[in-house]
Amino acid sequence: MVEEKQPSTSRRKLWLVITVIVAVIIIIAAISISLYKPSTPSTKPISPSAETLSITWANVPNIDPAIGSDEASSAALVNLYDSLIFPTANGTLLPDLATSWSVSSDGMVYTFNLRTNVTFHNGDHLTAQDVVFSMNRLLTMKQGYSYLFLPYVKNVSAPSEYTVVFTLNKPFALFIQSLVRLYVLDEKQVMSHIGSGSYGSYGDYGSTWLLTHDAGSGPYMVKYVNLEANMTLEEYPHYWAGLNPKQPKYVQFIGTTQTSTVTALFSSKQIQITDMWQQYSTIQNLASLPGAKMAIIQSAESQEMYLMINTQKPPTDDIYVREAMFYALNYTAIVTQIFPGQSLAAGPVPTSLPGHDPSIPYSHQNLTLANEVIKKSKYYGQLNKYPVTYYWVTEVPAEQKLALLFASDMAKIGITVNVVGVPWLSVIADLSNVSTSPNIVSIEVASTYLDALSILQQRYTLAAQGTWAQNEWLNNSTINDMIINATTILNQTERYQLEYKIQQMIYNSYISIYAFDVNDIRAYYPGIVDWYAANGHPIPLLGYDFVFRNFVFNVTAMI
Amino acid sequence: MGLKKFVAMRLLYGIIGLIGLSILVFILARVLPGDPARMALGPNASQAAVNALRAQLHLNDPLPIQYWYWISGIFTGNWGLSLYTHRNVLIDVEQFFPATLELIIGAAIIDLIFAIPLGLAAGKMENTWVDNIIRIITYIGIAIPSFVVAIILQLTLGYGLHLFPIIGMLSPNISPPPHITGVVVIDALITGEFNVAADAIWHLILPSFSLALGPLAQEARLLRSGVVENKNKDFTLNEIAQGFPERLITFKYLLKPSLISMISIYALDISSIIANAFLIELIFNWPGLSRYGLTAMLSKDLNAIIAVILIAGILFVIANLIVDLIVGYLDPRIGERQGEENE
Repeated sequence: MVEEKQPSTSRRKLWLVITVIVAVIIIIAAISISLYKPSTPSTKPISPSAETLSITWANVPNIDPAIGSDEASSAALVNLYDSLIFPTANGTLLPDLATSWSVSSDGMVYTFNLRTNVTFHNGDHLTAQDVVFSMNRLLTMKQGYSYLFLPYVKNVSAPSEYTVVFTLNKPFALFIQSLVRLYVLDEKQVMSHIGSGSYGSYGDYGSTWLLTHDAGSGPYMVKYVNLEANMTLEEYPHYWAGLNPKQPKYVQFIGTTQTSTVTALFSSKQIQITDMWQQYSTIQNLASLPGAKMAIIQSAESQEMYLMINTQKPPTDDIYVREAMFYALNYTAIVTQIFPGQSLAAGPVPTSLPGHDPSIPYSHQNLTLANEVIKKSKYYGQLNKYPVTYYWVTEVPAEQKLALLFASDMAKIGITVNVVGVPWLSVIADLSNVSTSPNIVSIEVASTYLDALSILQQRYTLAAQGTWAQNEWLNNSTINDMIINATTILNQTERYQLEYKIQQMIYNSYISIYAFDVNDIRAYYPGIVDWYAANGHPIPLLGYDFVFRNFVFNVTAMI
Repeated sequence: MGLKKFVAMRLLYGIIGLIGLSILVFILARVLPGDPARMALGPNASQAAVNALRAQLHLNDPLPIQYWYWISGIFTGNWGLSLYTHRNVLIDVEQFFPATLELIIGAAIIDLIFAIPLGLAAGKMENTWVDNIIRIITYIGIAIPSFVVAIILQLTLGYGLHLFPIIGMLSPNISPPPHITGVVVIDALITGEFNVAADAIWHLILPSFSLALGPLAQEARLLRSGVVENKNKDFTLNEIAQGFPERLITFKYLLKPSLISMISIYALDISSIIANAFLIELIFNWPGLSRYGLTAMLSKDLNAIIAVILIAGILFVIANLIVDLIVGYLDPRIGERQGEENE
């Protein structure tokens, strides 16, 4: 017969403790249920069905127009909000919220007349005061696309309900072009949702609320946001320009670039367009699926891959060394083997940008010329004493192959290259000082508005020195002054002539190597989504290849 | 009295440990290269704007001053501004932690469900074909990284056989339950939305299993070792000689002492999931704290980094305490020794 021992005193106490803990949990749960209030006002997710266009992105967008500026955020913003003007592929501008505009003869005062029939998603009427509020908000928060306006905008006012006046503190010929990035918010709605923050009486300027809501007038509105996971937009039925009957009713942004996840989702048609961050081989495989296709969007965001050469550090302080390196590199191998699908570059400005100098030849290898030029260098005969340090950004593994190709090609002309993988944060830190900058670093740079000056300003002015956008340490006040001068020339033809001259000066000084123009490569289902950018009509400005109102979405093909 | 004092002392040690951890992480995050203000504002922001943000975040102040600003805000609910979400880190934690907690709970349950039977069976049937098969399974589970398991399961069971969803916490046509605890399964059960709970569990299975496989394999091995050791001891032989039922011997007198080493590792494994879950959350697009922490580290979001690591530390302290209590229960000799040491 089995007899159980009596539990010891310590065991009884342990059970007592456990019982008390469980009871406390139950009481807390009961109190929570009885006092339940949603911690944040949130909308329930919709029930997306076959009417949803789903796309993967590197991240879930930040849809605050004064903060978001990455690819996903820009694509969301162009659909949630309207701006005064709308860009086209060739650099011309279409009226959007503005029906007409005028510029003073000195280029300092811009007057816009607004449409009178625009409503925000909550039904509020859009007026000039909302434009004033949106610009002031952007300038105050100093984030996102504010850098386009901060140096120039002195004042913005609304002399009448539908008239906006911008006064600049210095001429900026591309001011109107830059206004594509001024997304207009509903002042009343934003101000009714301000939280505590550092902007005085404006608190946080509504930035916490705008993380998961929109205050826009665009063809789409936010339906649901799950930060770190996904975002769903729904078409706005009262959009002032009307809706396209075949546009997707819902659009889902899924924030993942994990190859296995994207592969599984695309293969099962749970997404219809992949992100642009997949390996070329992955895109090739996905594009080979029944009904799928590869989309190569030429110079989609007017980006170029530069090998930025430090002109202050030996041996790259010698123009002959730089020229020899320029002609020694095998550019064809880059765009066919390392970064397949990309395009050859032609000079310091991406070929898709208005203002690009068409007389500059495409980058090409000429080993004979390279070997002749290197002999003119003061370092010739002792190049082994001056190895070239080449940084590649570790967050982009393919750049290592580019670096190794470069090292291999330079060895053919007697230049030793030390290839170093560096995290992006460290690259930014090292490029802030000429003594810590490497001889060469490979970085992609995108334009911020549709003109060659966008790249020239970012890359080759004195102000660009010490930033991630310039490793050249140019110290060239002539080029700097020419670029600054070009920004004040309102006449486009005259401005382009000056831009061409600047590009030729930069090209002939061999301060950069132009590896390739960046194309946007994705897999998609053309039978499900007729995508204008994939059909050869991209708008080469970040986000504008995803104006969903211009998509044709075949719902029946989804079933 | 000894037990109370024991718990109090362990909590005190835990708090001291957490303070030390916060100081260490605080310093490390600020010493590593990269300007968080520049990362937050973007590469095209003016230097003036960057300098202004640095001043706002007290980044130019001496480290002790910065730490004081941070620690004095912690207890008032101001966990600092996240440079990624641009809001109070506490709000981010409230939003993302429940999703990771849900993964932890799911992994913990799956771990126990499989580890105990596998370990017990392997130990009882030592050196038989059952033991050998379980040994192979556990070795595979230990050797393969959790993210590889996740990818395999996602592609085979998710995409290939359509048995489980590929990503997400809920199906697109399911609305989440009202936010009570933030853990979707629990909230759905509390509010009686059993279809939502079922859908959430269905989405939870693959990521939880991916996280649990490695730990459960290890714990099964530990339990097996414990069973093998204890089944040949005098007390077990005595019970067999006395004619105790096989089931009673196995599940009461053999299992209990064999669980001690397994439970010690079990709690540590579960509390460390928060640190290991980021790849799983990435693969399954799970909006959890680990993924938020990874984003914070890559963008040098200082306040968010400290918050995530502190929460991991708190879980670790709690898990350690629970382990000690459970081990004390499983082996009264240890429990009495713990009480005597603290009297």
